[in-house]
Amino acid sequence: MSDLDVHLSAIAAGDADAFGRWLAAAEPQVRASLFRFAAVVDTEAVLQESLLTAWQVAPRIAPDGRPNGLLRFCLRAARNRAISEVRKQGRQEPTAEVDAPVEANAPDPLLRRAIAFCIERLRGKPAQVLRARLDDPGAEADGSLALRLGMTRNTFAQNLARARRQLTGCLSRQGVRLEPNP
Amino acid sequence: MTPEERETLIEEATTAWRPERLDGSLGPHPSFADLDDAGRREAYARTRSLRAMEAALDPDGLSTTAHAVLDRIRSASTRT
Repeated sequence: MSDLDVHLSAIAAGDADAFGRWLAAAEPQVRASLFRFAAVVDTEAVLQESLLTAWQVAPRIAPDGRPNGLLRFCLRAARNRAISEVRKQGRQEPTAEVDAPVEANAPDPLLRRAIAFCIERLRGKPAQVLRARLDDPGAEADGSLALRLGMTRNTFAQNLARARRQLTGCLSRQGVRLEPNP
Repeated sequence: MTPEERETLIEEATTAWRPERLDGSLGPHPSFADLDDAGRREAYARTRSLRAMEAALDPDGLSTTAHAVLDRIRSASTRT
């Protein structure tokens, strides 16, 4: 990975678009770092809070001569937040495990084309629920999206599972794998 | 819990939506609490795949998680 601190001065100045460019590369790394906590804490909530903290703290990140200072800060913030959640639950901190990075076995333009190809082939309710999710970046729970589509929560979830399975199968036939290694 | 109910909980936990706590921070998804450890790991794995797909589709390479964070930043003064 290149040095994401190329965006740091703009982020520190309050440029949310620059933070978006940083996020595009940083988010998968921070999510992957939370792998060992996945059975104990809700890593999505921890991740979003840690990314927000990175935005808030960016103006105070001083260069230390090493690359990716903001990312390193965010990784520490995510780990500390996860450990804090583990302790609140009175559970033991999970031991370090070998991480399982998400690997997309195709260059990005090819990956994008393959996913678009496979999504176009989705039909009916699986296509509807996936579109609803993609169009709603975390603003509403699935229950609300289901209501809008005239579905029950269970039907929404079942159609989402169908969409994911069909997509995974289609992508696999295109030579693309998005599942993390076990 | 039936296998269908478990599947529903896992799928629901893969959304980027999270409930807001009283202090304004995000709390765990309600479905997460009802899952066993294996179900939580499965939700994590599915979420990673979904986010990779979302980012690949997005013109700016952003997943729904990234969009959710940016929406919070843009809708409020979040710098301390």
